[in-house]
Amino acid sequence: MFPSLPHTFREHGLQADVRTLLLLRKSLERGLVRTVGDLYLVLKGLITNDPKDYGPFTEAFYQYFLDIDIQPGEKLEQAIQRSRIYQEWLERQDIPEDEDDEKLVDRFLNDIHLSSYDIQQVLDGEAIFRDDNPDMDDPATEDQEATRNEAEAEALRQAADYSNMSLEELLARMRQIADKQQTNHRGGSHWIGQGGVSPYGHGGAAVGGIRLGGPGGGKMARKVIGDRQFYPVDLKMPLQDDNIDVALSFLKGIEEESAQLLLDIPNTIKEGVRQGGLFLPVEQEKKERKVQILLLIDNGGRSMTPYVRVVLKLFAKMKRRFAQDVKTYYFHNTIYGGAYTDAARREFEALDKLLANSADYHVFVIGDADMAPYELSQASIGQWQAIVARFPRAVWLNPLRERYWEYAFTVSIIKSFFPMFPLTVGGMEQAVLHLNKKIRS
Amino acid sequence: MAHTSLWTGSDHYLCDPELAQAFHMARVLGMPLLIEGEPGTGKTELPLQYAQDQGLDLFLFPVGSKSVVEQFVAKFDHVKYLRDSQVEVLNAQREEKGMAPLSSGGRRTEQLDDYVLLGPGAQAYLKPHSVLLIDEIDKAPREFPNDLLFALSHRKFILPESGRAVEVSEADMPAIVITSNREQELPTAFKGRCIYHYIRFPEPATMREIVARHFTNLEPLLLDRCLDLFYQLRDLGLERAPSTRELLSWLKYLQAYDPERALEQVQTRTGMGILVKTQKDLARVLRL
Repeated sequence: MFPSLPHTFREHGLQADVRTLLLLRKSLERGLVRTVGDLYLVLKGLITNDPKDYGPFTEAFYQYFLDIDIQPGEKLEQAIQRSRIYQEWLERQDIPEDEDDEKLVDRFLNDIHLSSYDIQQVLDGEAIFRDDNPDMDDPATEDQEATRNEAEAEALRQAADYSNMSLEELLARMRQIADKQQTNHRGGSHWIGQGGVSPYGHGGAAVGGIRLGGPGGGKMARKVIGDRQFYPVDLKMPLQDDNIDVALSFLKGIEEESAQLLLDIPNTIKEGVRQGGLFLPVEQEKKERKVQILLLIDNGGRSMTPYVRVVLKLFAKMKRRFAQDVKTYYFHNTIYGGAYTDAARREFEALDKLLANSADYHVFVIGDADMAPYELSQASIGQWQAIVARFPRAVWLNPLRERYWEYAFTVSIIKSFFPMFPLTVGGMEQAVLHLNKKIRS
Repeated sequence: MAHTSLWTGSDHYLCDPELAQAFHMARVLGMPLLIEGEPGTGKTELPLQYAQDQGLDLFLFPVGSKSVVEQFVAKFDHVKYLRDSQVEVLNAQREEKGMAPLSSGGRRTEQLDDYVLLGPGAQAYLKPHSVLLIDEIDKAPREFPNDLLFALSHRKFILPESGRAVEVSEADMPAIVITSNREQELPTAFKGRCIYHYIRFPEPATMREIVARHFTNLEPLLLDRCLDLFYQLRDLGLERAPSTRELLSWLKYLQAYDPERALEQVQTRTGMGILVKTQKDLARVLRL
């Protein structure tokens, strides 16, 4: 069933694989999926892993199951109005003259996202409503109400019948659709159009707008696609004040945490001897490694100016939150025998002293590494190499856009031996992953 | 299967439809439900209320920065084991001297199971249809979620020292709820084994219902004012936006006064310490 499903969802950057299919099948067998709305919710639970997945997921779902293809820069509404499924749905509606497009799309989406939970709610609500309603004053309105209620109740009964539809029938329909999808060239699945899984295309249960408990699914879906909250921070954006907290959260990943208990051998022996040969193990918590950071910043060229402030702010925040020790050094373009401890580059500290720091330090070099070839002398290269050799956890963060790296001669030289990542939020994440790799011993 | 019916909340807990479905789905498929969302939106409350409402046994594992899987599954008590084995030697000597033997509390050193202390995870697996809450898993060391993978996907724990396997059938699987505040990213493989749900912050209309489940006799005007101010504060972009929990505490506090006094309190913004948690935010709110 749905063999091409993982592929479509992966194209949208989501995690979907064979297991997803197996779980989907299991959900079908257990009767979790009775409507398209259910299918949406089930797949959402299976596939998404993060609120930022909700947007791409909804897009992928619309594309795969409903053949609503959202072009870049296009709004969901436009994509829906373009789609055939919507046109077919429209034909079956009796549309009041004054209905505007937006409302129609809303109704369409609500129909699609109607889940069996909603149906249950509507049914319950209906029951409550009728229980509450017996003594109305005005007989005329009561009649009207009654007829209207009758009509709605009829629709609801249909809905209820539908939700009792046998599983075999449903599966057969789905298979039919899946077959069609293979033969039809991107013909899509006319789930709704051909009276597929949702019967509510016929202006069913949602007609009276009796919807209880929260906004309709359609509104939710629209919100997901439009809402910035569910679209991630652009990970390729250079580091700025806006995304500094995201970067910080990635940096927090280098914090070493451990909850190992180790056998404290010397104390066990000592205690055992004191107890006259009764050895009881003395355990000791493994010491956490402190986060210690050496920060080397190129604050020389004009190209670096915009980044120096943000980087310093980032590491200041880091120090406040979780780093025990942040030592900052400055240099211009590259290092010659050492670096400076002040931003004005007056207090020089020799490389030997810098290298005398414990090898546990994490080293972050921030610089564009872009300079005239003669500036990067053999000696300077050797000094960078000494830093990498001394500190296994060293990374270079480069504000220069990654695609220009290969054109800058000096960048490619340094990159050949110094692990280099772009100074973007995404680059920070990669850098932290690199830092967390098991260090060679 | 009696415990896989849709549960939509209790008298004191409003379970939003999507969460209810996700939870239902997790139980039907026998998978854990991973809930994320802003602090104070009722992540932890879900399993607590569910267990209480349905009268099921609840096993709780609050995760801390020192949590390891042994605490969750089972711990072998090495100290007791060592003591008992040494006591055996000692008892032999005492017997020779005609002294009374020392007790080892009925534990036998050949019986390794006697030294296994079951953690909440194993206990929940042994009790059919229980509810298991793993709270704030993001606080755990990085290896913790990975260590859980096997137990969650194979429904089986193996206690290494005694070799005993604690297993549960899919039908008896406890309802597992895992909460996270997103302080650290969880491994992808782990998330793949869970049903994921992100609790959205409730809309004002939903919030009214939530409040109604907690307070029955609230002055409508007061509630309107409170909610207005509450959502206004949330839109302000404070460092720490107030959440449902704070709103409920605030309303509880205001209930201690008679309605006029309470309204006055809202208007003069006294007692904002309940809603606003940093000095900088407080200054901003008072400037409103």
